[in-house]
Amino acid sequence: MPKILLIDDEETNVRVLAISLRSDGHEVVTAFSGEEGLEVFERESPDIVVTDIKMPGMDGIEVLKNIKKRNPEVEVVIITGHGDIDNAIEALKHGASDFINKPVRDEAISLALKRAQDKLYIRGKLKEYTENLEREIERATHELRLQSNFLQKLIKTSEEGIVATDKKFNVVIYNPAAENILGYSPSEVLYTKKVKDLFSKELMRYYQAKRHEKQKKFKLQHLETKILNKDGMPIPVRFIGTFLYERKKVMGSVAFLQDLREIKHLEKELLMSERLATVGQTVAGMAHGVKNILHGFKGGSYLMEVGFKKSDTDKLKAGWDMIQKNIKHTSELVMDLLSYSKVREPEYEPCNPNEIAEDVCQVMEETAREHNVEILKEFDPDIGQVAMDSRSIHTTLMNLVSNAVDACVFDDTPGKSLVVKLKTAHEDGNMVRFEVIDNGMGMDKEVKKKIFTSFFSTKGHKGTGLGLLVARKLIEDHDGAIDVFSEIGKGTTFIVRVPFMELEEN
Amino acid sequence: MGKRVLVVDDDPDVRLFSQTVLEENGYLPVLATNGEEGEEAVKKEKPDLIILDVLMPRESGIRLYRRLKTNKKFKDIPIIMLSGIAEKSFLRSQKVLTEFGGDPVPEPEAYLEKPVDGDVLADTIKKVLG
Repeated sequence: MPKILLIDDEETNVRVLAISLRSDGHEVVTAFSGEEGLEVFERESPDIVVTDIKMPGMDGIEVLKNIKKRNPEVEVVIITGHGDIDNAIEALKHGASDFINKPVRDEAISLALKRAQDKLYIRGKLKEYTENLEREIERATHELRLQSNFLQKLIKTSEEGIVATDKKFNVVIYNPAAENILGYSPSEVLYTKKVKDLFSKELMRYYQAKRHEKQKKFKLQHLETKILNKDGMPIPVRFIGTFLYERKKVMGSVAFLQDLREIKHLEKELLMSERLATVGQTVAGMAHGVKNILHGFKGGSYLMEVGFKKSDTDKLKAGWDMIQKNIKHTSELVMDLLSYSKVREPEYEPCNPNEIAEDVCQVMEETAREHNVEILKEFDPDIGQVAMDSRSIHTTLMNLVSNAVDACVFDDTPGKSLVVKLKTAHEDGNMVRFEVIDNGMGMDKEVKKKIFTSFFSTKGHKGTGLGLLVARKLIEDHDGAIDVFSEIGKGTTFIVRVPFMELEEN
Repeated sequence: MGKRVLVVDDDPDVRLFSQTVLEENGYLPVLATNGEEGEEAVKKEKPDLIILDVLMPRESGIRLYRRLKTNKKFKDIPIIMLSGIAEKSFLRSQKVLTEFGGDPVPEPEAYLEKPVDGDVLADTIKKVLG
């Protein structure tokens, strides 16, 4: 129950009103002049003040002003004379909460008090809520700051490069790991670059396409690819990108980049040591090839000796042919050995994979025709100029196509029309697929197992036993892969997948 | 009349070389390109000597050698092995085949490891044929 202060210069009025209010259960204090009223107010701190307006000395308006100055939250109810509207309005201007007319009727006063009490109650609640709210906000802000700090530290210390954007794809997050991969400083990127300025068009297209797929199906997919850093160097990364949604609307995007440079480096070293081991282990295997070559030289020179002695040009020619054949064989073996054991970074240069394939077909055309093998071409017109190591691709395709022609030549099924087909195709993720398909003799499991091992040859004296080994090495150095499918009597298909880099505009 | 010598080798250059050596030394060369052909030629031509390679497509020299040396009719025809494979490896493979239930075979009359000089081949032929 609020405490009520009654002020009126007419003592009887005060007493009667006080009795009535006390009987309603209020705590009541009284004063009989404006000045006394203020004194009692100071002492008793009432919640509601009911004051007469007309009093000798300090009048009700002054009392109201003073009280509001001391504590604006106290409710002040003014008692006015009948019809004294001007004063009532004046009082309301100064913050009176209500007024009642004289003579004061019980109902009127209790209604006014009820209203004042409600106001007090509401104001009290409001204050409580406001204070609570402020406390809550402070706590939430603190929590938010902690979380935001935590997230920022998380992003900052992440080993993975993180690049995130707003919904207009402006970069807003760019962590040190991303800086390490891409080479731009944060100030060069944050709020000044868009994702498309950092990543290749091909990569953007890939994710744009993903975005249009149904969201349900959308899964994070990583892509092993290369991205160009500030200096234009290709950096191998594992890339995961996704759009961020809020209520089904894109609110931004984020890309995670895992730096694969170290891993690639280690893989290369491992491959290199394996290769050297292969070369070392198979010196015995090579010895057989070398012995055959030396025997060819001796045979050739024996024939030439006989030819000179007898002035027999046929013998001379046969001997010379034999020597030349073995010179060629020697150089092939040595070149294969060199390119197999040498570490060579692929040299990316502008080229057209279809043109490389075309050239290989032309070179092989004559040999194929001699053996009644037809060479078919099926080139994907979508492949244009790209950047790859054209020499590696050329050597690999030459090896595969000449193998395919040999596989046809060794097939002696009567009446079979022998065909070698070279196919090219553009694949997702900046890849070109080459297929070399023959319908020749095919391979059994045993042979298939051995084809990528050193010095294994089914071609007897014709092969160096290194051709496929070299092809695989060149393709692996180019971050590509070779697969083989074969069925005996039906033919063999070699599939080569190699990544390329897009050419810079202009 | 010169003696017949059968040359079995898949490499045409080696055949031409052996053929020339034989002709220069007054023998009659007969040529075969693999084990199968070689066996046919042995039956048909009844050679006085065989010069045999080891690694060949289809029937290898290792198998043909076993078949000839375990055949009553042909086991006395002398054989000169001429191969890039070392003699040790050839003998070991024969030993393995014997252990796996084959009949024991004698060592070849001569074993020449490539590369071989024409004169060495000629001398060896002469020695083997007596």
